[in-house]
Amino acid sequence: MKNISTIHRIGIRSMGIFLGLFLILSSTLMAQQQAATGKVKGTDGEPVIGASVSVVGTSRGASTDGEGNFKISVSRNETLRISSVGFNTTDVVYTGQKSVDVILTVDNKTLNEIIVVGYGSQSKKEITGAVQTISYKELKDLPVTQIGQKLQGQLAGVQINQTTGRPGQGMNIRIRGQLSVSAGSDPLYVVDGFPITGSIGAMNPDEIEDISVLKDASSTSLYGSRAANGVVLITTKKGKGSGMSVSFNTFTGMQQVPMKGRLKMMNAEEFAQFKKESFEDAKQPVPAEFQNPSQYKDKDNDWYGALLRTSPITSHNLTITSNTPKSRTSLVAGVLDQKGVVRNTDYQRYSLRLNSTYDISDKVTVGFNLAPQLVYDNTPRTDGDRGTGILFNALHTWPIMPIYEADGKTLTKFNRFPASTGNIFAYANWVRSADQLINETTATNLLSNAFVEYEPIKGLKVRSSMNGEILRTKFFFFNPSDATSRINVPIPTTAESIRENVENLSWLNENTVTYGKTLWDDHKFEILGGYTNQYFRQESTRIQADTYADDRLPTIQGAINISRGGTNSGVQEWSLTSYLARLNYNYKGKYLLNAAIRSDGSSRFGSDNRWGTFPSVGAGWVVSDEPFMRDLPMVSFMKLRGSWGIIGNNNLGNYTSYALINNTVNGVFGNTVATGAAVSSLANPNLGWETTQQLDLGVDINMFDDRINFAYDYYKKNTTNLLYAVQVAQESGFGNFNDNIGEIKFWGHEFSVNTKNTTGKLKWTTNANISFNRNVVVALAPGIDRVYGTFHITQVGKPFGQFYGLISEGMYKNAEDLANSPKVPGRSTVGSIKLRDINGNGRIDYGGNNDDRTIMGNPFPDFVYGITNNITYGDWDFNIIGSGSQGNQLLVRHIYSTANLDGVFNMVEGAKYRFRSEANPGMGMYGTTVGGGNVTGIERDWMNSRFVADASYFTIRNITLGYTFSKPTKVYKSLRVYTSCQQAYVFTKYWGGPNPETSAQSNGQGDGGNLSPGVDLSNYPVPRTFTVGANFNF
Amino acid sequence: MLAIGLSGCTAEFLEITPETSLSSVTFFKTEADFQQAVNACYVPLRTIYNDRSYLLSEMHSDNTYYYRNTAFGATEQQEDLADFSIPVSNGLTTNTHVLNQYRQDYLIIARANQILDRIDKADFDAAAKGNLKGQAQFMRAFAYFEIYRYFNKGPLQLTAVANREQAAAKVGTAADLEKIIIGDLTGAAATLKTKSTQEPGRATSAAAKTLLANMYLIQKNWPAVEKLCKEIIAEGQHSLMPDYNDAFTTSTGNKNNAESIFQVQYQEGANGFQGSFMYNFMPRPMAASELVTLSKTSNPQPQTGEGNNAPMPELIASYEPGDLRKDASIGYITCASTLWEGKTYPYIKKFVRPHSLNGNHGMNWPIFRYSEVLLFLAEALNEQGKTAEAAPFMNQVRKRAGLAETTATTQAAFRTALMKERRMELAFENKRWHDLTRTDTFKEVITAKGNRIKADPFAHYYQRGFTLRSNSFTVIEKYYPMPADEAALNPNIK
Repeated sequence: MKNISTIHRIGIRSMGIFLGLFLILSSTLMAQQQAATGKVKGTDGEPVIGASVSVVGTSRGASTDGEGNFKISVSRNETLRISSVGFNTTDVVYTGQKSVDVILTVDNKTLNEIIVVGYGSQSKKEITGAVQTISYKELKDLPVTQIGQKLQGQLAGVQINQTTGRPGQGMNIRIRGQLSVSAGSDPLYVVDGFPITGSIGAMNPDEIEDISVLKDASSTSLYGSRAANGVVLITTKKGKGSGMSVSFNTFTGMQQVPMKGRLKMMNAEEFAQFKKESFEDAKQPVPAEFQNPSQYKDKDNDWYGALLRTSPITSHNLTITSNTPKSRTSLVAGVLDQKGVVRNTDYQRYSLRLNSTYDISDKVTVGFNLAPQLVYDNTPRTDGDRGTGILFNALHTWPIMPIYEADGKTLTKFNRFPASTGNIFAYANWVRSADQLINETTATNLLSNAFVEYEPIKGLKVRSSMNGEILRTKFFFFNPSDATSRINVPIPTTAESIRENVENLSWLNENTVTYGKTLWDDHKFEILGGYTNQYFRQESTRIQADTYADDRLPTIQGAINISRGGTNSGVQEWSLTSYLARLNYNYKGKYLLNAAIRSDGSSRFGSDNRWGTFPSVGAGWVVSDEPFMRDLPMVSFMKLRGSWGIIGNNNLGNYTSYALINNTVNGVFGNTVATGAAVSSLANPNLGWETTQQLDLGVDINMFDDRINFAYDYYKKNTTNLLYAVQVAQESGFGNFNDNIGEIKFWGHEFSVNTKNTTGKLKWTTNANISFNRNVVVALAPGIDRVYGTFHITQVGKPFGQFYGLISEGMYKNAEDLANSPKVPGRSTVGSIKLRDINGNGRIDYGGNNDDRTIMGNPFPDFVYGITNNITYGDWDFNIIGSGSQGNQLLVRHIYSTANLDGVFNMVEGAKYRFRSEANPGMGMYGTTVGGGNVTGIERDWMNSRFVADASYFTIRNITLGYTFSKPTKVYKSLRVYTSCQQAYVFTKYWGGPNPETSAQSNGQGDGGNLSPGVDLSNYPVPRTFTVGANFNF
Repeated sequence: MLAIGLSGCTAEFLEITPETSLSSVTFFKTEADFQQAVNACYVPLRTIYNDRSYLLSEMHSDNTYYYRNTAFGATEQQEDLADFSIPVSNGLTTNTHVLNQYRQDYLIIARANQILDRIDKADFDAAAKGNLKGQAQFMRAFAYFEIYRYFNKGPLQLTAVANREQAAAKVGTAADLEKIIIGDLTGAAATLKTKSTQEPGRATSAAAKTLLANMYLIQKNWPAVEKLCKEIIAEGQHSLMPDYNDAFTTSTGNKNNAESIFQVQYQEGANGFQGSFMYNFMPRPMAASELVTLSKTSNPQPQTGEGNNAPMPELIASYEPGDLRKDASIGYITCASTLWEGKTYPYIKKFVRPHSLNGNHGMNWPIFRYSEVLLFLAEALNEQGKTAEAAPFMNQVRKRAGLAETTATTQAAFRTALMKERRMELAFENKRWHDLTRTDTFKEVITAKGNRIKADPFAHYYQRGFTLRSNSFTVIEKYYPMPADEAALNPNIK
């Protein structure tokens, strides 16, 4: 308990630091000197806020307020220098004017764009790392619900796949191909400086001002042990400009799953024909049900199709910004209501964000952000294999099984044919199950930040912030007796409920000091130092109950049984203390240098290895500022960059370093139940973070007055100390030992080009990017050169997570072929699958280290790419975004059921063309049905290369056509209306299902886990959406 | 300055121990800790006997076979055991049942090692300690005895594993394993409580002695077997149940009865301690209405897939007339929907008891019964040439079965009679394969089994027109190959 009180003490002291600074600073209203005043405006007459005003040759300086006004102590004939990002720097000589009014002209070069970086911001020109920023302006036209969807195809080096179409779910974001054997690979998300612990999927994209993606070590190392997967900095909308502005964005749309791409299964008649043939081929009497397949001609039951529907989506967002000279406020309120394309899926999001900043004196600024949110989500267990997912189950349910009773309206309860038909499993009615299963999550989330910033002298900023995140999720699952998501559960079944309440609390206190100064005119320094503490605690309670007397009352007390195994409570905690520092230096803005370091102490690390240090350096050379480049006038800007650093991944789990006792290994003696306890894991007091060393070399070239901007980056990463549950001989009583071991090398090339193709009334811009990411496993544990996934291998010397299985060579054509080919002793027959004898021992083996399996495919692409075109013509605008992936493959994992030759399930249509006889050998993909499991089991259970499918794709993510009524009316200042289509078309040869981006969620059998990527288990399809929308500005 | 002030408690701030589970640093201190750790040693037995043992030692013998269901696939793992066709490559097998048996046995060994490493240093009552240590020794010996009988060798794990390097141990020979087993059991027999004082269901000194006797039996150390069995008899705490049927428990009662020396403890209900082996032994497909006549549950479910442990017709035919054990051991059930034209199947009746809920029963599994002690003694005496002295012990068993005294008087005739008596008395109790191996008769017996099934598949529950797989009865070996998956993790296993 000493432990908890310490945490509270640190929490209270952290709060103390923050409040202390806050109180001291807000009372320090420094006496004002006599000064000149002035106002800075742009050429458009709008005030320029935050412009820097300095007296040349002195240390005196000031900045403009919310209305562009400034006040500065200045003597006659001294020169005032006014600069602001995006404007050309202007000098004015003070001659005693009453008011120094300055008009700044816009700097058309994008280079002075300010980019949010870790613990600060920097002008794009001075950045030495690989950072890419996307602003709200570039994203606002995309009527999608998730941030990840908005970013698809926009960022070089970032692969974003939508693995499932479940509303609000499934965006898989990988920066520079980072992955790990067992630690997490998601980037770190930092919202307004706060590394959040929850998911970003539920955040309202309309709240976002801009997103910076930090890719290289020099830009991420300030996030230390959490930076190795890359960092995504999200800055929410803050008030700016002056006065009040109100805008309202709304769209509504329809979503549907195109027929193209759906897995083609046999229809009822085809299935009956298949069954008839397989009985005939086995020389068995054909059961009555299959004797006349044509009787099913008009009685097909498309179970998969029956689960889908066309469904609406609606979103409204109200944004208000209100600014006074001393305060800036912005409010974003959003409502999203999305019905999913699978029946009974429902997603609603209510969100609010209020960001306020107050200048309580010339030197002190305080700010508060509050963002409450409620998300409701119900999905009737759609995804997963046949143990859990109704979509998978619907796919392979016999199409002769009726969805509806004879009346055509009432859903059947459950279908089962006599055993003589080969119907082994009971099939629930999936439509009924989808409608009746409750699988809902209600998440309430409050994200808040408060900060105080004090600038005692110009350039010195002391800042303290307190951030909090509270997330409560309430999960409720109810499986009434008429429904199930599982196969082979007869109806009525045992009704079951699960209730799970999870509360997360995380707080972060950060204290930083920055000082920026230019010395001797040309030497610009900025230093940063900081101390931070973060703490996270999760408490969960789960109650599982079953056997209900009445399905209408799924209470806990209504259950006859409380499941001991499924009822539990849990606590997860971690803490992190960090020291950080950074130095930015440049000479004349031409030679750039950056060095940063963070030291992290984490409770997750073993007691003998608690602190990690993560340094980085970066350097840049603005070549275009050199005199010799004047001979190349078409090059308007050119910078060479390089960086190197060490970063970490601390996604290890919270208690992985401990030897834990499992005290639920209970037993019974006679009639007495007795608690049992056993050591369930091995301790490792040296357990630590995964270490990534990253080198980045890049060049930025702008040509023809910045009409063409080109960027290239090469990176090389070495990830060592991989968190690795080294499998150990189970004779030890343990399955594995958690250690930092092994090494993966990553490297890649990223290109992006932005062009302004036309200017003038017709403005056409194109942004394109392409990235090549590669990896190779350099080492695993000593003595271990490979680790297996479900149908995968991660092997030293090879890329990570490769598909691993047997190589199919068609079928044994005839007795001669069978006699002369390696086979599975006792099992292979004429017409059964013929496999390659890789180990050359004359027969086919499956399992163990020296069998006939080999690498049969690669889930990782050769390259990923994206292209965005924006065209405006007067008041018209048009946007089209596409992105794709080339050379990656998927494992059509559901095939072990959907092409099971035993006829237990419905089959893929292609199985019509299976081997039936020497004369009728089929297409070489599917073997004979004769011989039962002894023969067909090889094809079904021994994964082989036929089911590795090319999953290259190019998807038109978005097409939008808009028109803006730019003339103000009584109702609005401006109004834009648009229509758009998302997921408009998927160009792919992938045959295993509708989504070539899919990947199974981790399902406990290993599919979808780190070691088993690229598995298609028939997830929720991603719909095509047509929307119409309007943006009002009031 | 503030930061420095804080760093004093930073170390504490970063020290977060799991709140919802104990760590080994704080555990293993008190008697209660060791009691819990001992309890956990028994847990794997539930899995071993519910899911595995019958496949590896009963169906892998001439006593039982499987109920072939040609409509159902994915049954090779079981069929390979009954058909003596398990895949063997480089002396290793991928058979999952072999692998899981091995892993569960070593799980017991590892849990026992955690106790045995620490218990001598713990400070609590000596008698209580002796009884706990004895149980841990018994369980470790029991698990090693299984490894010994199945594989005839095995890694020597004798201390608690604390790091990766210790996880893969040197492989010991049969002699090494015998030494461990005898050492542990000698210790356990001395410190364990007797049946009358021990909590029911836990290992007793008699259980340790019986297991030790079994070990000596395999070593043909007949005087040692004789001595131990006589000690158990002299102790007077065990007796034969008057009715053979009552030697086996019901779902809720008659557990750890007078005849029981050691049982795997199950309990029906929602606590998770239930068995379901009765269902594994049912012919399939079977309608709910057929099943309920045996299970008597309130919620019978139809059974699909393929059933195992079907009594061989030859076993049924070999009961002597009047043997009361036949009706207690074997029943018949008609499954209308099965594809096998015979429709009415025999099934193992001694493990069929009514219970409340489908797939959830509480019958204990007999590991050692007093009748086996009597048969051990009879065998040990006969092998020492004391046939006349041996006969009364076997006759006690025969008498309870409603049979006349044995007519065998020569050592050889008595030996044959005794092995048959063991087969009938202990049918379906996972003894048969081990009897065939220790007497080195497995090759002829199993070859004969294969020939009989091949000659008449229909009589062995094959649908007409179906026959055995071509690799059946091609791998008849005395010991199982080591599991390939573990060999991949321990380079010492070859």
